[in-house]
Amino acid sequence: MLSLYRPGHSLWHRLPAGPKTTLVTLIVLSVCLLPVTWTGAATAAAIAVACYLIPGMGLSELGRQLFAVRWLIAVTALGQFLFLGPERAVANTTRISAALVIGALIVLSTSATALLNALERGLKPLQWCGVDRQRVALLLVVTFTMVPVLARLAGEVRQAQQARGGRVSLRYFATPFLILALKHADSLGDALSARGVR
Amino acid sequence: MSASARVDTIQMDDVSVRFADTDVLRNVCCSLPARTTAVIGENGSGKSTFARLIGGLARADSGTVRVLGLDPARETAALRRRVAVVFSNPDAQIVMPTVAEDVAFSLRSEKLPRAEKTRRTQAALERFGLTALADRPTHDLSGGQKQLLALCGAFVREPDLVIADEPTAFLDARNARLIADRLLKNGSHRVLLVTHDLDLAQRCDQAVLISQGTITAVGAPGGIVKAYQELLVC
Repeated sequence: MLSLYRPGHSLWHRLPAGPKTTLVTLIVLSVCLLPVTWTGAATAAAIAVACYLIPGMGLSELGRQLFAVRWLIAVTALGQFLFLGPERAVANTTRISAALVIGALIVLSTSATALLNALERGLKPLQWCGVDRQRVALLLVVTFTMVPVLARLAGEVRQAQQARGGRVSLRYFATPFLILALKHADSLGDALSARGVR
Repeated sequence: MSASARVDTIQMDDVSVRFADTDVLRNVCCSLPARTTAVIGENGSGKSTFARLIGGLARADSGTVRVLGLDPARETAALRRRVAVVFSNPDAQIVMPTVAEDVAFSLRSEKLPRAEKTRRTQAALERFGLTALADRPTHDLSGGQKQLLALCGAFVREPDLVIADEPTAFLDARNARLIADRLLKNGSHRVLLVTHDLDLAQRCDQAVLISQGTITAVGAPGGIVKAYQELLVC
């Protein structure tokens, strides 16, 4: 899994995953409901800054999170500027960016194990309609795990193409990448099974 | 001696496995009582299928398989508790973002008190020299460290049998030796090791030579390795 978790001992870190998720959800909801004005944009930005400063995450971490979603911010801002004008564009983009970085606080301050446990607990009410909560929670964790692995596999395929003097082509990239990804999924399934996951 | 120790680790009687139209294993019969067993043979000879069959990850089309007295096809849950499997590619075995969490993940399905799970995780990390790396992101580890972690994740469940399918395949000589030392170290566990490393095979108590889907020889590693080398020369 991508290691987003930043270990720490603050009160925010020690807050159990369930209440933490509820609190973050409420803050994100409040940010989303702010008015689409310059004041709304400033308030959303201030809330995001406060959310990183109060638990001791720091502004550099906030910067890192914003950098990680920079393309999303750019695309959102551009579209809004073209169709809605500067005030609405700034307000909407700031609210979306604030919601994203505030949401990231959960994974930044909660270990994967605690998240997995919280997910399993949170999905318990869905058991009555046949949802296997352990499997769903594991699926989410494994999905995160796959991101760096798939990135590495994609890099290997690209390098192999380059080593053979081929042009970077989607067609010649997709087939070996898909085969490698499926093979990896197969191996992962075996490994999970071998580790007692039913 | 306990009841489980009295039965042979692995017993197969007339076992065949087919994939599509190909016989991967044909009429395999064996009884392997040794603590450490090496399985050697050419690529595509059926070694991995043999190991997967024992680990309950593949099914026999005919014949009977008994592993520690259990039928892997029918008593899968019991088998999972007593048998651990380690593969050649550690990336496919690592699930959690940090070293300690990944080791602890192996105990998620075990019905143990939380304190016992923590104790076992810490003990396993210490045993495999991973304590200092406990909070390190797993995707940042070197190949050797990842394989050590995969092994640690297998051993934390305190299995009676560890099946290792080419665990040193992607490692340099130093890391391969480190992994082999940890795997074959004296202990209560038994080991089935699939390998192309003939020096490693020589360190086991017993060796099995598989060729074209059948077991062609079982015995002391020295003789089996020699027979395999002669086969390669022909």
